Amino acid sequence: MKPFFRLYGKKRGHRLAGWWLAGRVGEAFWFATLFSVGVLTLSIVLGLQLFSPDTNAYRIGHGFWLLVLISSLFIGIGSVGFIYRVLSVAYSAEYRSAIANRGLIRKAERRTKGKAPPSAIPSLQAFTDSPGVRLSFRLPENRPETRQLVLASLFVLAWDALAVLITGFALGGLLRGKADWFLTLVAVPFFLYVGFRVSRWFFLEFRRATGIGPTTIEIDELPLIGGNEYHLSLVQYGKLAMKKLSITLVCEEVATYHFGTDTRTERHEVYRQPVLEQGRCRIDWGRPLELTCNFMLPKQLMHSFQSPHNSITWKFTVEGEASRWPLYCRSFPVVVYPTVSKASQPVEHLNRTAPPS
Amino acid sequence: MIELLGFQPGYMPNDELRFQFTIRDLDIESISAIEASVVWVTDGKGSEDLGVHYFQRLTGEAISGRDWSESQTLSTILPESPLSYEGRLLKIRWLIRVRIYLNDGNELVTQEPFSLGTKTS
Repeated sequence: MKPFFRLYGKKRGHRLAGWWLAGRVGEAFWFATLFSVGVLTLSIVLGLQLFSPDTNAYRIGHGFWLLVLISSLFIGIGSVGFIYRVLSVAYSAEYRSAIANRGLIRKAERRTKGKAPPSAIPSLQAFTDSPGVRLSFRLPENRPETRQLVLASLFVLAWDALAVLITGFALGGLLRGKADWFLTLVAVPFFLYVGFRVSRWFFLEFRRATGIGPTTIEIDELPLIGGNEYHLSLVQYGKLAMKKLSITLVCEEVATYHFGTDTRTERHEVYRQPVLEQGRCRIDWGRPLELTCNFMLPKQLMHSFQSPHNSITWKFTVEGEASRWPLYCRSFPVVVYPTVSKASQPVEHLNRTAPPS
Repeated sequence: MIELLGFQPGYMPNDELRFQFTIRDLDIESISAIEASVVWVTDGKGSEDLGVHYFQRLTGEAISGRDWSESQTLSTILPESPLSYEGRLLKIRWLIRVRIYLNDGNELVTQEPFSLGTKTS
């Protein structure tokens, strides 16, 4: 039997377990309670401070400001959550979306004037703000490992600083004749050993990320449209003895969903087109590898798509294999538009640079 | 009863979508609001997303001043994207949806799918 009241709406696959309205009302009640507690606490704390300062119930200090901060957070989270839940009960998903998208008409007007991308397609701005040397646009590289490297460097620095500090304390104690044997025999070796391992790992990763020179890809036209032919240029810098280098155009479906309290993202490759293959060659500093090619994007392929939880992404992947280096793969996202009439194509499409002769 | 009429199963971008709906066997006095919309929704592994292309909401005198037994015609120019799509993790479906809100708190919904563009997968 469906419960008449529950504190939150529970999803089971695509459907809600129980009566959806009971879950929504429960959630609204929860956020209203949170809001009320916040208002009550803030009123008491501020009221005592303003109207009965002699009692000194809550002196202004860290505790006072912490209470004010927590109460304000309760009020903020409670009010936003409550309004959202009430809207979701009172109005349809379409009406909420129309309210949230007040600029719907203005956006549609901009689209027809070619200033905004078609609906649910990523903006071209991030892809066209970097002009190329050989062709019109240099594609931005998607490098998620850079963030990992920065975070790893912060961790390694903090750990090594801690290890040096502990070693300094231990040595100081030994020199003063007041040795802390636990610190000297257990903590110092542990911190130095872990510090050595993480530092070694970090420098290997850093060398891997920066040792193989940068890769750039330039293209003569953006966005890509099915049925058209494009000119592509690749430059690989560094000092490498390449065994193999390839460029592939890849399309992926990306879906983000909630699994319990986790948010998960799943990818599925739906299209793969080899664009360029290069065999053995040598690259030196000052003499990068320069490759050009033409490729045709087939018609009847799905365009790029972007919504809050789902997307269809297109990218060029450069996969390389060099002597004494691990395999590497770099990706360069692009945007594919649906095949439409020439009149509705964006301005950027006209900025075509002739390929080098 | 809501009945959707006069639309085709498939359209191309920039085509005019013209559809009609009628309300029958329902006391007009019992209706508090009527919403007609053209939307796309995602279906599949990811959480559902919804985009509204066309939306019209009628309340009060806008409802009582019309004869709802006759077909109500609405039209909109369809956008260039997103096109209908049938993938493994993701499907994009276009729908015409009509909702009727009754004074007793209940609502009636009818919707019809159509495809925009040549369906890709």
